[in-house]
Formats: sequence, structure tokens, C-alpha cells
Amino acid sequence: MLPTELRASLAEQIASVDHPRELLVDVMFAVQDHYGYLSDQAVEEVADLLGMTPLEVEELATFYTFVYRHRVGKYVIHVCDSVICWMDGHESLVEHLERKLEIKMGETTPDGLFTLLPVCCIGYCDRAPAILINKKVYGPLTPEKIDEILAKLQGEA
Amino acid sequence: MPNIVIDDREIEVPAGTKVIDAARQLDIMIPRFCYHVALGSVGACRVCAVKFVEGPFKGVQMSCMIDAKDGMVVSTTDEEAVEFRKYVIECLMLHHPHDCPVCDEGGHCLLQDMTISGGHGIRRYLGSKRTYRDQYLGPLVQHEMNRCIHCYRCSRFYQEFAGYRDLGVMQSANRVFFGRYEDGILESPFTGNLSDICPTGVYTDKPSRFIGRRWDYERSPSLCINCSLGCHTVASARYRQLVRQEARYSEEVNGYFICDRGRYGFFYASHEKRPRRALVEGEEVAYHQAIDTVREKLAQISGSAGPEAIACLSSERSSLETQAMLKRVCQNKNWSGPLFFMEQSLAEKVKTATARLEPGLTVSLRELEQADFILAVGADPINEAPMLALAMRQAQRFGGRVVVIDPRPIFLPFDFQHLPVRLHEVDLYLSLMIKAAVDRETATELGPSAAEFYQTIPTLETAAVPLQEQIATLAQELRGCQRPVIVCGTEVVPQTTPALAADQVLLLKAMDKQTGLFYLMPGANTFGASLLSGDDGSFSTTLESIEKGKIKALIVTERDLFWKYQNKQRLERIIEKLDLLVVLDYVDSETAQKSDVFFPVSSLYEAGGVFINQEGRVQVAPKVYLGGTPIKQNSGGGHPPRVYGVGIPGSEPRPAWQVVVEIGNGELPPDEETAFATTRKWLAEGNPVFANLPPIDQFPDDGVRLGPALDVGSRFSLDWQTERHPKRNSDGLELILVDWTFGTEELSIYSPHLRQVEKEPCLSMHTSDAVRLGLSSGDKVAIRFDGGRVEASLCVAENMASGVIVMPRHRLLEWQKIKELPRIVRFEEIEKVSV
Repeated sequence: MLPTELRASLAEQIASVDHPRELLVDVMFAVQDHYGYLSDQAVEEVADLLGMTPLEVEELATFYTFVYRHRVGKYVIHVCDSVICWMDGHESLVEHLERKLEIKMGETTPDGLFTLLPVCCIGYCDRAPAILINKKVYGPLTPEKIDEILAKLQGEA
Repeated sequence: MPNIVIDDREIEVPAGTKVIDAARQLDIMIPRFCYHVALGSVGACRVCAVKFVEGPFKGVQMSCMIDAKDGMVVSTTDEEAVEFRKYVIECLMLHHPHDCPVCDEGGHCLLQDMTISGGHGIRRYLGSKRTYRDQYLGPLVQHEMNRCIHCYRCSRFYQEFAGYRDLGVMQSANRVFFGRYEDGILESPFTGNLSDICPTGVYTDKPSRFIGRRWDYERSPSLCINCSLGCHTVASARYRQLVRQEARYSEEVNGYFICDRGRYGFFYASHEKRPRRALVEGEEVAYHQAIDTVREKLAQISGSAGPEAIACLSSERSSLETQAMLKRVCQNKNWSGPLFFMEQSLAEKVKTATARLEPGLTVSLRELEQADFILAVGADPINEAPMLALAMRQAQRFGGRVVVIDPRPIFLPFDFQHLPVRLHEVDLYLSLMIKAAVDRETATELGPSAAEFYQTIPTLETAAVPLQEQIATLAQELRGCQRPVIVCGTEVVPQTTPALAADQVLLLKAMDKQTGLFYLMPGANTFGASLLSGDDGSFSTTLESIEKGKIKALIVTERDLFWKYQNKQRLERIIEKLDLLVVLDYVDSETAQKSDVFFPVSSLYEAGGVFINQEGRVQVAPKVYLGGTPIKQNSGGGHPPRVYGVGIPGSEPRPAWQVVVEIGNGELPPDEETAFATTRKWLAEGNPVFANLPPIDQFPDDGVRLGPALDVGSRFSLDWQTERHPKRNSDGLELILVDWTFGTEELSIYSPHLRQVEKEPCLSMHTSDAVRLGLSSGDKVAIRFDGGRVEASLCVAENMASGVIVMPRHRLLEWQKIKELPRIVRFEEIEKVSV
């Protein structure tokens, strides 16, 4: 269940717009921030808040890369999967991440710290190859830099 | 109008016509998946590519996305376009499972056709295929997502066209998935259309799975008789079993689609309990023996008590032939009747509606889609005639306003304004709104009676009713609209409403509007029944005569007396009292079971027949198959039994009109054509409107709309103002008996599949009444009627009138214990049942 406060503040925002549907993405992100991902229960709660059917929420939730319908790690690493990054060493970057974290693309480390996901071009071609960890961009990357970043995040966790 | 050349042939089409449709008019079928005339263009599948040689566009373009323009020269056979389409097909087939041999769509699959005609044969892609998990979508539609080519027809039909919100498209790119949020029965009553419009086998007809290929079936155009709209269907039979119905395109009635009640309502026809032998006192006898017995008994009764001691009761689901033959036999024999209605007030309302459908006012279902303001009075479209709701949805989608004046908790799959008023207020609210939209001068121009009619309607200010502002706003909109239609029910409304609705339409028409009038009626051939129904007597007087012993024999054709009559005990006593009850039917109804002599008759699919829908459209349903016991039923699943004999096993049922003629010692016409010709001639003698009907084999596909069928009678009657209504009862709730989409219609309840999608029957009351009684939604309540207690769960609703309790005539409710109607249910008669 969503905390009453969050629910009330979302309901207030929704009440202030003409078409509740237009807030769907914002509400999904807010609820996702609370749960860490958008669970089935969360989808149903979002639907309820907006007066939509769970299907209508699911249609959008599953369309967007940054809405997670499965449990994800504390740090979600989105590896840019587009042309410029491909030219600048994307493949070895993915290999390195997979080897280092001992998971495949789309998986989460057993300690629940890292999730590895691909993402369409994030617009940081000038910093290719680039990745996005919890909305922060890193690049251009080398194996060493990645090790550094991972170590830092592990230390912070 | 633009002139366009397609494949060296010129055609002029209305502006806004897509090139793909212009080609269709030249009989050039450009390949398509996502494009559907009813759903419009999205340009998703790319398979309708053609080459634009001259004109504003050049090169290979999608013919579904481009309007035909002057000077366009298009080639569908250009090498570049053909090659383009070939690659598109190959691409769409990448992930296809190639399971045509086990796919129920195989053989009538658009994807198969396009793949072959597109020239794609050899699979070049060697990678792994995308696969999906399928969902359980209920008993009517089978899901198989691997076959999907992502044309979006299903989600567009389901959400945009039909307005339901539990099936759609999820995921993105190569993972695009069409289905529900989770497994479950689809909520829409139009789901069967998914099987029709899916260009491949993602959605297939579930009840007919594993029964056969389309070319194995005996297929024939047919009609739906599960409500009064008369939608067009294609019926399929195999091995003497009716197995499937599909929607058949009709320009005037249902367009491309039908509802699930119509599509899956046919299971009575091949039901294993369907009676196929004539019965005398419960014993199976040969048909002619039964005829002899009946004739003999009728002669005795006629001789001892006079011919009027024999009464006949016809039905609203009988074909025109059967109705007419029964009437003729009655007249020849001087028997009483036939009656066509069990409720006199309903008969009168329907007759009023029939009379008031003047040419120039009547609109068809398809014309109703063009309305820009629909005012529905005492009508619950989704429950009474689902396809009407779909037509109203189209009007609303294109900017029309829909207003419903009705006490029931109305649901429609789109935004509409509901004025939930009590039944006796329906007339007033309708009149208030029209008066506020029509000028006094306009009414005066229609003559003194119209002027007086207008004058006596209170103004909004003087009426001082609740919802006043809402009505004023809506009236303003009504004033500004061009094509208003009034939809009027005939079942729950007060006696005066059908005539009032017609009068109000006349007022609107006088405002220079293209106005329409659309009635709903309770049965498939109610219109025919109302034309044939005489003024002599009502069912209640017949009942009294039976009780007094004046009527000793009752002949009932294709009707279950118990189905829609509120006093079961009385009927049972009456049947006891009768010397002879003769029943003709194709279902094993309660009345059939209680009959002294029973004749099994052919269903619509075996006999065919003429039916008149609620707008007076006379339509013909041809025979689909010969009938007989389905082989599956008498073979136990194996080879049919090897028995000697002529004829088809279980084919004793014959058309009801034949049995009627034989019971009446009449001469049997040699065939159906002659039968209809005779019927028509005889009908025309009684009512000249029938004289213009064509011979039965020359009916146009959309039938023939009858001209003015009955005398219009007096227009602008003031009766509605003086009609006596049950006073608002402060210590009780007015009982309203209603129909539901599933579970209340006499024939479709035999469908095991529809039984699975029926909702549990519940009583509805307004929140304020529930609060007063200390009840809430989901409570199990019992009502003490005069014939006993009726238990059901309660639905509490805000969107309905207060002071009423709504009860479906559901097969699972023993509502026939009510005894007397109209009925006020006193508060102390409602109690909560502890669980």
C-alpha cells in the first residue's frame, strides 16, 4: 500500500489537471520511486488513482525503458545500445560489465546491488561509450573507469 | 470529386476516399492487414504499398494513408511496389510459427492469402523466433499470440471502436503483445468480433475449435433473432450441428460487427436436450399420429364448447410465416386469438411504436451512427440490444452527444449524460428538454394540436425539477445540433412514452433538423407481431377465461409462457385446468414439458423465415442446413450408427407454420416459396403494406423497409400529462424488471459458453435507499413476494433513480414469484439474509 501522504499528494496533483491520464508517467515514476520498481500492486494502485484500468497503465508502463516492471537492484546500469557507442567499444564494455558483475544483460546481482539493462541512445554520443546509473551519465568509459565507478558505488551502498 | 487512375482505369470517388478504397471500387483488392473500413487507417503493416506514378505523391506509398486526389496515377502492379510488398510479407512472416495445419484460421486466413499472393514462399531467416505466452481470455475467444503480425486491429476495435478498456497493446518493438493485463474473461460483449477482424489466427472462435475448416461447413447467410435489431450473420453447420456464427456485413443494420449474444446465442439449435419427437401425454409418437390426436381433441372441444374455447398464443420470436399462418387458422376456425403478447400494456406500446414509425422519421442502426445528438428514453442499450450501444458509441466518437433518461443504472462504453429519473418522470424530462430546445413559433406552425401540445408542457422554470441546469445546457446543445435521434424503449417505459417520443421528434423535425426516431422492441419479430395482433382480448382475459372454464384448449407456438410472466403459480394452475395444451417449439421449455401434445419444430437455421426488425425492415433468413440430430450426439463420438431407415435421424421437426396449417386441417403449400407467396398475398389483404414485398428469393440483402404500416392515429396527444402513475411511495420501492445482456434472453441462455460469461444476477437500488435499509453492495437480500421469497445479492449504485429496485428477469432468479405487476416493494418486505 502506498503511504497515505504520498497517495494524498498524488491525488491532489491529479485533481488539478483536466485529463488525469496526462499525469500517468509522472505518477508511475513517483510510485516506482517509492517501491523501487512498479510491481503489479503498484500498477493497480496507479490505475486506481488515475481512474484508468490496469491494462491502460500496463500499456504505457511496458512501453518505457525506465519504468521497471520487475524488481531491480539499487543501482540500475543502463548501457547505451546505439550506433555511436557501438563504434566506440560498446561490446567490450558490456562484456566487461557482465564479467565483473557475474550477471548477464537484464539480470540483477545476487546482493541486489546492480541491475544491467540496455537502453536506446541516451544522447551522450560525445561521451561514448556511455552508461547511465540511476539517472547519472558516465562516459567515455574504459574498463578501468568502470571498475572505479563500481567500487565507489559498492562502497557507498 | 477527385478523379484517379488506378492500373490504367479511371474512377471518380468522393473527396477523402483513401486510394485503397478507390481501388476496391474498381474491384482491385490491394493487400491489407491493419486497414479495415470500419477501423480506418494507421499505416502500421506496410503491406498496402502501391506505386504513385503521377500526381502530388511519387514513388512507393501506403495506399491506406493517402487520399485520392485529382491527377493521381497509381499502379498496384508496378515492379517496385510488388517487390516492396514481398519484402514486407517476408518480414511479417519472420516470427510466424507456420502452424497453419493446426490453426483454426487456416483456410480463411488473410495472412495466408497475402503470403501466397505476395509471392513469399521460402523462409530465409534462420534465427530463433519470438514467442509469447498466451492468455486465457474467456470461453469465447482463443488467444495464440505467436501468430501475431502486429496490425493493431484488435486493440483498435476493442478500445477505439467498441470503447472497452481491458484488452490492448503492451510492450514495445519486437515484443509488442496484444492481450489483457492478466488472464481473465474479456469484459466487452463484442469480443467475438476479434475473431472476425484478426487477419490471422491470434484470436479464433473458441466454441468451434477443432470442429472443422470453413470449407467443411454448410455456410449460409442468416439473421440474429436474439433481440429486435435483426443483425446479419453467417451461420455454419457441420455434421448436422450448428457450430459457428460470424458477423455478416450489412450496409443498413449492423455494419461489420455483431454482439456476443447474437454470435454465440445459437446453441439451442443443436442442444442435446432439444426435443425432436412429437409427444402425446409425454409419449413419443409419430408426427401424423400427434396431428390426428390434436385434430380429434380440438374437434371434440370445438363441438362441445364452441370453437372460441380454443385459444392460440403466438410469439415474438416466430417468423412472419408462422405468425400469419396461426392467425389465418384462427380466423378460419373461429378460434380465439391468436394473441401475440402476454402483456397487454406492452402490446399497446409496441403497436404505438409500429404506427408512429413514419417514413422520413425512421432511422436504421447505421444511420443512427451519423447522429450528432442521441436522446435515449427508457432504453438500456447494452442490456437490451447491445449493437445499439455500439452504434451510439460511433455517434459519440465523432462528436455526438448522448443523453439517457432512464431510472436504471445504465452503463455505456463511452461518455454520456444520464438523467436517472423515475419511470413516471421520463415523459416529463423528455418534454422539458425538447420544449427548451424548440421555439414556440415552430410548434405553432405544425398546427393547433401541436401548439397546444407545446403550450401544455411546463417550462423548465415552472417545472422546478432537479437537474434543471443540466437539462437547460443539454437543450441548448440539442438546439444547435443538426441530426438528432430519439431512441425509445418499449418495455419499461410508461404507456404514453412511445407516442410522446414520436411527437417530440416531430417538433425537432420542424426546427429544420434531419431528425430520427429509433424504437427498441422486445423480440426479433415483435414488429410482425404488432402488425398482426388484433384488438380483441388480452392474455389476462384469456387466463381468466381458462380459469372460468370458457377456454379449454391452448395452442402455443414457439413461446415459453413461464419465461416472461410474473406469476408462475397461476400459470401452473391454468395448465392444470386446461383440457389440452398444445406446444410447438424447438427448445425444451417449461411450457413444452407441461404440454399435453408437443410438436418439435425447426429452428431458424433449418426452416429459414421472414422477420421484421424494430424499424420495420423485413428481412429473410435462408435455410442453413437440413437439420437432424447432430452426428456427434447419436454416434457417441465415433462412426454414426449403422441403422436402416430413410430420412435423417432426428429430422422430424418441421417449420412451425407447417404444423400450424396441419393442426388447422389446412392445405399445405408445396414449398416455402409458395408458402411465403400465399402468406404475403393473404397478409396484403389484411394490410396493404405487405403488397410491395418481393418474392422470397428476390429480397435485397438489407431487406425491405415497410412503409407506414398502421394508422398513425392522433399526433400530439396530451395523454402523457394525465396518465395515472403509481404515486411515489414513501414506504417502498417501485419494482422494475429488466433484461441483461446475458442470462435473460430466452434462446441465448441455452449456450453453455454464454453461461460462463453471465454475471451473477443482482438487484440494484440507489445509495440513499440502501442507506435507509442499512444495506450495502454485496449483501445477500431476500424480497418477500406474494408467491414466495426471492433471494439475490445487492448492487448499490449512485447512477440510478432513487425509489426503485431493479431486478433482472434472470434465469437464475425465481422472479416469477412476484405475482402481480406493477409492484411496489415495501421496505419491510426487503430483508438482509445472514450468510
